Amino acid sequence: MTGPDKRRPRLDLVGWSATSPFGIGRSAFAEGLREGRATATALDHEQWQVPAGRACLVPDFEVRAVLGKKGTRMMNRVTGLAVGTVGELLADMDRSALTPETTGMVLGTTGGSVQSTLDLTRGSLSGERPFHVEPGLIPYSVMNGAAGQVAIWHELKGPNATLAAGRSAGVLALSYARRLLLTGRAGVVLCGAAEEYSTARAWLARHTADPAAGEPLLGEGCAMFALAAAPADAPAAPASLVGVKAMTCSDGNWAAVVRRCVEQVLRDADAKPTDVWAVSPSGAAGPGGDAEQAVAEELAAAGGIEVPVAPLVGEGHAASAAFQLAAVLSRAETDERSTGRLSLVTTTDEAGTVAAALLRHH
Amino acid sequence: MAAITTDDRQQIKKIVCDILELEEDEITETSLFVEEHDADSMRLIEILSSLELNLKVTLEQADMARMVNLAGVYEVVSESNR
Repeated sequence: MTGPDKRRPRLDLVGWSATSPFGIGRSAFAEGLREGRATATALDHEQWQVPAGRACLVPDFEVRAVLGKKGTRMMNRVTGLAVGTVGELLADMDRSALTPETTGMVLGTTGGSVQSTLDLTRGSLSGERPFHVEPGLIPYSVMNGAAGQVAIWHELKGPNATLAAGRSAGVLALSYARRLLLTGRAGVVLCGAAEEYSTARAWLARHTADPAAGEPLLGEGCAMFALAAAPADAPAAPASLVGVKAMTCSDGNWAAVVRRCVEQVLRDADAKPTDVWAVSPSGAAGPGGDAEQAVAEELAAAGGIEVPVAPLVGEGHAASAAFQLAAVLSRAETDERSTGRLSLVTTTDEAGTVAAALLRHH
Repeated sequence: MAAITTDDRQQIKKIVCDILELEEDEITETSLFVEEHDADSMRLIEILSSLELNLKVTLEQADMARMVNLAGVYEVVSESNR
């Protein structure tokens, strides 16, 4: 494709919200980001059976305290984060304008809740019979449990998808939402990504971290976006999705693939590096993250601003790209220089994914 | 057919109330799980499995059709092999 297709509808970002280590809701996220507030706290070892250390947790987030005691008996943390964030998102939108049957839900994840999966497996291995497991755990021990519960809780009846893509999940969820809209499968898609902190995830991260890259503090949370198709001449929303590009790095040459990915997403939009107002790299430790950082610094030198997120809210894994998207949207709301210009979010994941999303601010 | 004790009934009621997220005074022997207490099919399966797990009984899925309220659950459990 050479240049944007003018016949296509514009894909507007008509709302967003986040539940993050800065707190619950969009304004807490915006405020924490503006202040550049660090969020690492000491872990409560009554709650988390992990080695002494710190992490970036959503403050005071207990599922039943946030969502109430109805329908939450067995709900795990990642589902609570997603259900709560979508609730915040919908509270800011005109619910009556949404048709349940054409409202889709796309949730990015790493692999669901490893904690719930392990709890169920442990129960089966340690119970009197293999099938004597706690049945309430089952919906949450599969990775599409959270997206399903979001739809049930908020009465969304459109397409419901779960996308496992690690750190890139937020960007790929936007891409999936874009395809649902362009093919007429949905009128509005609520999309984003969520990751929970858990004892199981902390141990997994500890044993899989690259010692040479340093061990990042874990973060958690969820950011959700409402994406809707609008005619090209309709009044503009604050931002629209221009394009998403995803590639695979299979040979370890992250620098080349990240560069090619960014060049292509810009070229597909007929954009120049100087059109970029803000760039947000994943901040991941390791060669993928380093390659993103190098491109971000070049774009910043060409007149953009850099919006780092991970140094404040930790390694969010699946939530990370979603937080980056929320961060550029949030910054643009208070910076007039963003008007008419672009934001670029880049992401890499150890599994080999390299992805970039391009937004235009109006 | 084995009768069930008052203790069994109390334990069953506790399990059902826990799963349906109800206080014990919100439910009666004849109040309906689905129509009156907002249960869905998942909750009904949870009740069946939890009874099997905690009472060490085996219940047939076909009997779920009769487990529409506490009285129905007491009946099904009393008929089970224990």
